[in-house]
Amino acid sequence: MASQRLGEAALSESGPSHHHHHIPYSLPHMLHHPNTSFINQEGSAFDFGELEEAIVLQGVKINNDETKQPLYTTVRPAATLEMFPSWPMRFQQHTPRGSSKSGEESTDSGSAVNTLSTTRLEPDSPISRKTSSDHRLPPPQMDTGSGVDSPRTGGSQTQPAAKQAPEKRRGPGSNSEKVLDAKTLRRLAQNREAARKSRLRKKAYVQQLESSRIRLTQLEQDLQRARSQGLFLGGGGVAGGNISSGGAIFDMEYARWLEDDHRHMSELRTALQAHLSDGDLRVIVDGYIAHYDEIFRLKGVAAKSDVFHLITGMWTTPAERCFLWMGGFRPSDLIKMLITQLDPLTEQQVMGIYGLQQSSQQAEEALSQGLEQLQQSLIDTIANGSINDSMHHMAVALGKLSNLEGFVRQADNLRQQTLHQLRRILTVRQAARCFLVIGEYYGRLRALSSLWASRPRETLIVDDSSCQTTTTDLQMVQSSQNQFSNF
Amino acid sequence: MHNYYETGWWSSSYNYPAKRSVGTDPFERIERMASASAVVMFSMSTCCMCHALKRLFCGMGVNPTVYEVDEDPRGNELERALKRLSGGTSAVPLVFIGGKLVGAMDSVMASHISGTLVPLLKEAGALWL
Repeated sequence: MASQRLGEAALSESGPSHHHHHIPYSLPHMLHHPNTSFINQEGSAFDFGELEEAIVLQGVKINNDETKQPLYTTVRPAATLEMFPSWPMRFQQHTPRGSSKSGEESTDSGSAVNTLSTTRLEPDSPISRKTSSDHRLPPPQMDTGSGVDSPRTGGSQTQPAAKQAPEKRRGPGSNSEKVLDAKTLRRLAQNREAARKSRLRKKAYVQQLESSRIRLTQLEQDLQRARSQGLFLGGGGVAGGNISSGGAIFDMEYARWLEDDHRHMSELRTALQAHLSDGDLRVIVDGYIAHYDEIFRLKGVAAKSDVFHLITGMWTTPAERCFLWMGGFRPSDLIKMLITQLDPLTEQQVMGIYGLQQSSQQAEEALSQGLEQLQQSLIDTIANGSINDSMHHMAVALGKLSNLEGFVRQADNLRQQTLHQLRRILTVRQAARCFLVIGEYYGRLRALSSLWASRPRETLIVDDSSCQTTTTDLQMVQSSQNQFSNF
Repeated sequence: MHNYYETGWWSSSYNYPAKRSVGTDPFERIERMASASAVVMFSMSTCCMCHALKRLFCGMGVNPTVYEVDEDPRGNELERALKRLSGGTSAVPLVFIGGKLVGAMDSVMASHISGTLVPLLKEAGALWL
């Protein structure tokens, strides 16, 4: 259909701007079904309003670009249809009246006329243009046409075309009996049209904003859901916000490392239960140590590309992040946890473990103090940059920041050396159990993060006598408690 | 794993230029300074890792002799020599115990964790029970 063609043409012209503004309403849908919407409306007036709205939107985007052809068949946002309730009747009554107004200066009235004729006759712009030019203009109160930038009849917004019709119409119009009132009426009509035009524009803009806002909240919800799912999958792997490519790569490698860790642990578990020989067990234990060496190597590479990703713990789960020290676990904390789990130990081993705890504590303290001095120095540099040599200060600050990588590297080095020393202190069997304990411990910490993320938000710990809340979750908890009390 | 270097280790790998007076060669200077005290650390006043290493020694009760290379008039050549000795990316911090090169921060920490640092310090007379 011609109108469809025209509609599509207009869409293609205004396409980029529409996409740009993210109009969520059924714009494309409507575009391809101009006739359906056309026909389904209850009257030509309604169509006209629809039309006008479309044209208003066009005008808002295209900014009255005269070279464009925002045909009346272009935009047809369904959401805005209900915004023009007052149109139909007035329009229809005034339709048959002839009028001299056709705004030559403002193409609005002309367009109103043209579209009017168009809706009555055919949705074909060229034809309507012809017919409108031959017909008398309806009075300017048909503000159905107002607010429309482009007199579409024929949809051409080109001034020559617009001018032609008005002129023609003016001819017959000026011959009507109300010559004196014509100018006044025309002026009034133009005013009304301008007012309506701006009202429509405002409505359209607000509608756009609201739709965009709804769309935005939906997107945010989707993102939040995806993030929480990411927490379940990769142990917080790619659940971050802005991840650099270096950080993203490390997250993927870490996720793979976690899978390997799971495999190593199963191997250790079955090896211990199977009571393998020390030689066989040693191979498995050394393999696990090499597995840890691998993650430290990967972290070293990642520290070069994105030290902040490591040092802020974005690669770990929230619970792990809570205990983060310089981009990883704190070795002395690990030793403290292990001491209780590693019984029985010989006296020499106990001394060795305590010595390890002490030396790791001293090393941690030293590194922490070094990092603190770096931070203080950075603060001074950033704070003292004057306007004149701010770039110089920024360069100095950048240089200082680069030292962060060294600290993360040394912290990882400390972690690695601690694990190696544990291996040296313990027998093969003890070492196997030790690494199993370590793996299980961090596995539980990661599981804690997932459970925490999925906990029901409104739930409170409720005693029988405690105050009632109105949340449905709480009521559910209470009812389930009542059920259990029967047992 | 830490490296043990004999006092004159560098003389085998380093070729003396023909006409160089003894005092100006940076490696000689370093050796002289390193032999002067039980624990010697080459550092820079602006280096935070050096500060960390200083804190480590102090925490252990060790009182190292610290040379701030950036405050030395011929600090640049010292820095270059230190960088070569450390075999790594940074010249400082670099630690000598008993005149022997122990290494940079990672070497010192690895030595401490593995339990070899304290005996070394005691042997050099920097630590008493």
